[in-house]
Amino acid sequence: MTPRRHLFTVFRHTVLLLWTLVVLFPIGWMVMTSFKDSGDWVSWPARWVPFVDFEPTLLNYRQIFYFGGSTDTGALRREQTEQAYNIWKAAFDSVVIVTVSSVVSLLLGSTLAYAISRFRTGGKNYPYTILTIRMLPPIVVAIPMLIYFASLPEAFTWLVGRRVEFFDTYYGLTLLYIVTTLPYVIWMMLAFIDEVPRELEHAARLMGASRLTTIRKVVFPLVASGMAVTLLFVFILNWSEFLLALTLSQPKVLTLPVLLNKFQSAVEGRLYGPQAAIGTVVTIPVVVLGFLIQKHLVKGFSFGMIRR
Amino acid sequence: MTESRGPAPAGPPSRTRLSRWLERERVFRILPLIPVQALVLALLFVPMVLTVYISLLRWRLTRGFWTDAPWGGVSNFVDALTDEGFFDAVGRTFLFAGGSVVLELGIGFGLALLTYRSFRGRRFYFTVFLVPMMIIPVVVGYDFSMLLIDTGPLNSVLSALTGRDIRIRWLSEYRAAQAAVILADAWQWTSLTFLIFVSGLAALPRDPIRAAEVMGATRWQVFRHVELPLLKPVIVIALVIRTMEALKIFDMPMLLTQGGPGNATETISIYLWRNAWIFNKISYAAAASLILLVIFAALIYLSIWLLRRERSRLEAETAR
Repeated sequence: MTPRRHLFTVFRHTVLLLWTLVVLFPIGWMVMTSFKDSGDWVSWPARWVPFVDFEPTLLNYRQIFYFGGSTDTGALRREQTEQAYNIWKAAFDSVVIVTVSSVVSLLLGSTLAYAISRFRTGGKNYPYTILTIRMLPPIVVAIPMLIYFASLPEAFTWLVGRRVEFFDTYYGLTLLYIVTTLPYVIWMMLAFIDEVPRELEHAARLMGASRLTTIRKVVFPLVASGMAVTLLFVFILNWSEFLLALTLSQPKVLTLPVLLNKFQSAVEGRLYGPQAAIGTVVTIPVVVLGFLIQKHLVKGFSFGMIRR
Repeated sequence: MTESRGPAPAGPPSRTRLSRWLERERVFRILPLIPVQALVLALLFVPMVLTVYISLLRWRLTRGFWTDAPWGGVSNFVDALTDEGFFDAVGRTFLFAGGSVVLELGIGFGLALLTYRSFRGRRFYFTVFLVPMMIIPVVVGYDFSMLLIDTGPLNSVLSALTGRDIRIRWLSEYRAAQAAVILADAWQWTSLTFLIFVSGLAALPRDPIRAAEVMGATRWQVFRHVELPLLKPVIVIALVIRTMEALKIFDMPMLLTQGGPGNATETISIYLWRNAWIFNKISYAAAASLILLVIFAALIYLSIWLLRRERSRLEAETAR
């Protein structure tokens, strides 16, 4: 038995190490490229080892953040030849839109989830009806939205005599993100709220607490961590959203995924270095958040169907 | 079941009208529904109705507002249904989804089987394997577009491994570009199927497995006849969720090839995006997206039916 078990251990580690390489290779390459100067971005054979094959530089990060852009000669040289981008505007837009929409979605979704869990609001099929929203391809939402956002200003002019724009605005995108993430919030919070024993609420009510007090003092403390997890999960989803932001906002409102795409289609040729730097910077917060809620990721992605 | 059936306590005498109003169960049940329904109505239902109307016109974004557009009847639907490009794009989408979902479920299941029991180094592998799904899809798409350039690192590695000069034109050759999209998607989402399967395997009830072992079943028999049937709900849920997500695929082909070369990676999302935002054929895109909506409605109905069935099975299993 022992040699066989030994063989299995070797086999297990070989396979797992192989997949580790597959996973880390693209990430490692991107991080490495973010520290390369323009001559090293694309070269054959590829440059692998820092300090041996290529000299690491912070130029790309300096360019995207504009740190000392005007004094540093290297950064200046690149700004003159290529269009200069910076990440601040997009980061601000992303943070504002994603935070507001995630918080609003959490509040609306969790109160509704409570009502569904305790009173079967909307009937037995309601959660599943909501789930269909999530299963629609975003493009099927985006095209009606394009038409809708083009028509709304005219409708507002006609109705209230004032033009209200939705296309390429903060609230336009925020509203969309609220609706598209509601199904996730409702389903995740249902999973958390269902775990709170009803007996606790009954006890509190029998002792004379009002409905609101019962929720505040009994239910909320028990689901607070679940709400935090849900908020982070929805935050990650919105932070990554690309199609709706690409088609219904920009250039005035610009989120980070769209900014990354802009480097892609730059006429001067691909700016691999700054792009890699932005990719790295944008990824770090989500990976950190992701590991914070690691235990609950299954719950989120399976709409709370796999609850363990 | 609901609170109303339990003992109905009176609560304290309320101080304000608002709190007395909130104390009623009906208010409490309906109030949270209102904002959500209002949002869904305003942001999904009304636009959909408008889209049906626009799809019957001949409106292009470049030619004034749609109130001035000529009536087109069902011509847009006829155009879409007779356009090979539309159905090719639908077929391609299913091909990509099929390819990547098979890879994701296969690799994810294999890795989960090797990882779900504790051994030295498990925590390390587990952490690493979860990383891809936390990276933004756009970044993954961009990252792969960099890895896959003709003189890029992937071809370098392949050349080094085989000892020959390999220059696969991943992004400019028809089949290679399609493979690239599938591989990028599989790279990212295998982490999710892996996670789902690990939690499914870890949560298997111990008793039936031990019973089978006591009765002298081999490891394979236990797996095949006890664990696999118990795992079926989890597998179906993973399959349904990943398939529905994979059918939406837009970010990867957009970032990798923008639907090219030619239309090699033009999924249905890219096809509609091109028609609406590049060619400005709004009425046509509206009609085509309504047809797509009908196709998807059937799929969504099927998948929700499956999810419901497997979910109740899973709950029965845990309750045991």
